[in-house]
Amino acid sequence: MDLSRRRFLQAAVLTAAAAGATAACGGGSASSGSKDSKNLTFWYWAGGLSDKVVADAKTHFSDITLKTSVVGGDFKTKLLTGLRAAQTAPDITGIKGEDIASFLPNANRFVDLNTVGAKKLTPDYLAWKLKQATTQDGKLIGFPIDIGPCATFYREDLFAKAGLPTDPVKVSAELSTWDDYFKVGVELHKAVPKTYLVNNIGSVFSMIVGQGTRRFIDEDNTFIGDQDHIRTAWTTAVKPYTLGIDAKINDNTWNAAIGNGTLGTELGAAWHALDISNAAPGTKGQWRVASLPGGASNLGGSFLAIPATSGNPEEAFKIISWILSPENQARGFTDAALFPTAPAAYKLPALTGGDAFFGGQKTIEIFGPAAEKIPAAYEAPADAAVSAPYYAELTSIEAKGKDPDQAWKDAVSQAKQIAQRQGVK
Amino acid sequence: MSSSPVAGPAPTGPTSGPGTGPLGQAAPDPSRGPGRRAPRIRPVSAGPRPGPRRRVLRHWPQYLAISPYYLLFSVFMLFPVLYTVYLAFQKWDGIGEMQFVGFQQFRFLWDDPVFWMSIRNTLVIWVLSTVPMLFMALVLAVLVNSTKRFTAFYRVCLFIPSITSLVAIAIFFGAVFSNNFGLINAILRGLHLSAVPWMSNEWTIKLVIATLMTWQWTGYNAIIYLAGLQAIPSELYEAARMDGAGPVRIFFSITIPLLRPIILFTVVISTVTGLQSFTEPQVLFGSDAATNPNSGGPGQAGLTTLLYFYHQAFDNNDFGYGAAIVWAFFLLILLIVLVNWRLVQRKERRP
Repeated sequence: MDLSRRRFLQAAVLTAAAAGATAACGGGSASSGSKDSKNLTFWYWAGGLSDKVVADAKTHFSDITLKTSVVGGDFKTKLLTGLRAAQTAPDITGIKGEDIASFLPNANRFVDLNTVGAKKLTPDYLAWKLKQATTQDGKLIGFPIDIGPCATFYREDLFAKAGLPTDPVKVSAELSTWDDYFKVGVELHKAVPKTYLVNNIGSVFSMIVGQGTRRFIDEDNTFIGDQDHIRTAWTTAVKPYTLGIDAKINDNTWNAAIGNGTLGTELGAAWHALDISNAAPGTKGQWRVASLPGGASNLGGSFLAIPATSGNPEEAFKIISWILSPENQARGFTDAALFPTAPAAYKLPALTGGDAFFGGQKTIEIFGPAAEKIPAAYEAPADAAVSAPYYAELTSIEAKGKDPDQAWKDAVSQAKQIAQRQGVK
Repeated sequence: MSSSPVAGPAPTGPTSGPGTGPLGQAAPDPSRGPGRRAPRIRPVSAGPRPGPRRRVLRHWPQYLAISPYYLLFSVFMLFPVLYTVYLAFQKWDGIGEMQFVGFQQFRFLWDDPVFWMSIRNTLVIWVLSTVPMLFMALVLAVLVNSTKRFTAFYRVCLFIPSITSLVAIAIFFGAVFSNNFGLINAILRGLHLSAVPWMSNEWTIKLVIATLMTWQWTGYNAIIYLAGLQAIPSELYEAARMDGAGPVRIFFSITIPLLRPIILFTVVISTVTGLQSFTEPQVLFGSDAATNPNSGGPGQAGLTTLLYFYHQAFDNNDFGYGAAIVWAFFLLILLIVLVNWRLVQRKERRP
């Protein structure tokens, strides 16, 4: 009895000691990892960069040990947690496009890239995209990986069936305004009854909001989500629902709908082409790309940033600017459908070639001009939070047949409450 | 240790004899039964402060042995729980400065229609899942209890759903109930009935989530009932049968009254877990959408309170408000559990 107890205690003490030692080791290596100027840690997410370009960066910067982590799950939450301590923060990190605005109030947690050499590179990159990562006092906290210029993807075969124009140039001309687009949708639905024009009206709403220079909150931190520009976007977005050309897809059946002809057109960013070709490989050659009705709009597009605790900001920015050079961005387009943020890349062969999924169409002719025409909008840190009720209420219209005017009132009153909670005037 | 007069667990009760104890204890000694009693009497006479501290010291190996759980518990459960109390009175975005705002978050909560809607959603889903779940579990348990063959097989079958990955189940249910291409709608169409928009109607969304929870937890509760059933003496059943009671009468007059404590247990557990539905709607209704993640599906019909909390804290980075939501919700769960407890307990006292 006594003997076994003593042995048990020994075992317990040993285990505790071992656990302590492991913890100490862990702490030690982590802190040396981020303070060291030769060992840089680099966080991004799967598909966020071309893995081949990242692998080449490791060999290209041979005097630096670049330790990359492909972080899974909720990237923003993990980055927030990591940034709380110098030991756990990465030296270079990706930031998703939808999250960049929420990091701007804490710009002091990041290196101002203009101080480490970004200033002489910025003229080569899209100004409206850089603006998204620039604070109101001019600090640049992120360097743009990619953008999401939007377009209308349409089924050429279904358009032909309905007797509509099929050539991308003609379709683009035909669909110059939202009302033209909806008119085409009505004709298409009449000719092919199982085909609808849009998957849901939330997607139309986000496109129209993206076409303006003002969103839900203005530069003075005032709520403007109840003003005419948003009201017009709302009214226009509800039209396909009242015209009966809205497929009302708000669940995971989109994959099936895109493949079986339920959707005659799809509004989306350049990277959305990959979603379509993955979900519906059988429709290869039947899709084409036309410009977006009503002007250029952007959806998504991420950044690379350097946390303020980085061990070697100068070298980190050299790595970033190498990965995001026009030539490497062209490779990112081929490998991971990342649409370049440096217009110089649009002239490179990787982008100017035809795309077999789109019947050999040179899609850059649509996306390239769109990318340069996207308006520079002010996106406030609380923009995503404040815009949520509008999307939720649009799904209420689709799901419950809620009266659009009542839905608008509810959306605005909820948005105002969220704005108040987020400290917006 | 051995030098202390109160030391030694005195496990040898009867054999220690009157000589070993303090003089004053001689009288009760002969009546002293099990040795366990001894330490309880002794400290009274062993000076004013024998102290719980001493006792802790005396049992340090035992405390050391159980300490890992309590250390992990306090670091990963207790501290975060207490920290949310503090957070509920702050405005904090996760990395910036915290700002004390008093009861402001709770005032926002009171005025927030989405919060109240999420409470309604949660309660509806809870009722839709718990009531049929516990009833079916009871019936299943009675059925399995009456079988003679393959009982182990049935028990395993009943238990498997509760240890299946919730995410996998949710993805599977999403495919089965899918509006346009789901299994159920395919069958309905095959029978020339009209398809039901399961995943976009306000009520069917709740029904799908409740069905998922029922499917997962019915068997688990049935196993608990089965254990309770086996503790009921078979003489009672025999006597009832002699008096001419049929199986339904026996079920309602013998089985249910005698199972009442077990039913109370399952009701409390199902209340606590059923009100915390989160993964089901999160997986069923796209959590990865960039524009409006974790909104609970069309019309926010699947927005449960915990999903709303997650959305506020981790999508909107409004951690103070998130903390206020969970604390308000905790009070509600506590209230419901107390009401349940009262209802089931009172009935038990009556007979």
